[in-house]
Amino acid sequence: MSTEPQDADDDLKERVTNFLRRNFPQIQMHGGSAAIQHLDRESGEVSIALGGACSGCGISPMTIQAIKSRMVKEIPEINKVNADTGMGGGGMGDDGGMSPSFPGETTRDDEGDEGPQAPF
Amino acid sequence: MTDFDPEKFEEKYVHYFPQLQRAYKSAFETMNEEYDSTLIHGIDQQILNESEPVYEDGRFRIQLPENPHDRLTSVVVDDEKLDATLERYVEELEAEHHRVFGVERP
Repeated sequence: MSTEPQDADDDLKERVTNFLRRNFPQIQMHGGSAAIQHLDRESGEVSIALGGACSGCGISPMTIQAIKSRMVKEIPEINKVNADTGMGGGGMGDDGGMSPSFPGETTRDDEGDEGPQAPF
Repeated sequence: MTDFDPEKFEEKYVHYFPQLQRAYKSAFETMNEEYDSTLIHGIDQQILNESEPVYEDGRFRIQLPENPHDRLTSVVVDDEKLDATLERYVEELEAEHHRVFGVERP
């Protein structure tokens, strides 16, 4: 268990979620999703997974850069943003699995291990 | 047509997000039609996700990450083919930026 107060974690998570919802409504509008996978309040590092149609819409690379660039500026507690579509492009190791998807297609069905899902 | 302001492009993700979306999506669709879809998706998700469009000297340029070959782990492709496809993709992206922002290439 962390020694950090749960309330502070929840508050920061909520601000990250709100930031995404407010500034990137397109993610949801285009059939995608954004979920906070991990948030380390101490180091200010957050990992976000774009899913659904985001995985193959062609806009996600730029959206990822936009999220990274803006979030560190607009949420002072956040120092580093890892964001990817689960294809291993974010620098963390993964199993290399790939499941291309296309705009309008939703392929997210095997999730649910941890972390709250952003409501969009 | 967007009234392009180079200074505002410094904060491109704030001021020009919809235009950038359009440029990236059009380039992706063109490439997806012309080339192997799996390779295009791989480039899109694993190389371009660390790329950034910059505007300097009157033209748009796509800044790629340093090690594009190492980043692409989801697709088996030889270096020559990857280089050629990536070069073409970047060209298409730059052309789309000029088109979307109504900026003629010098």
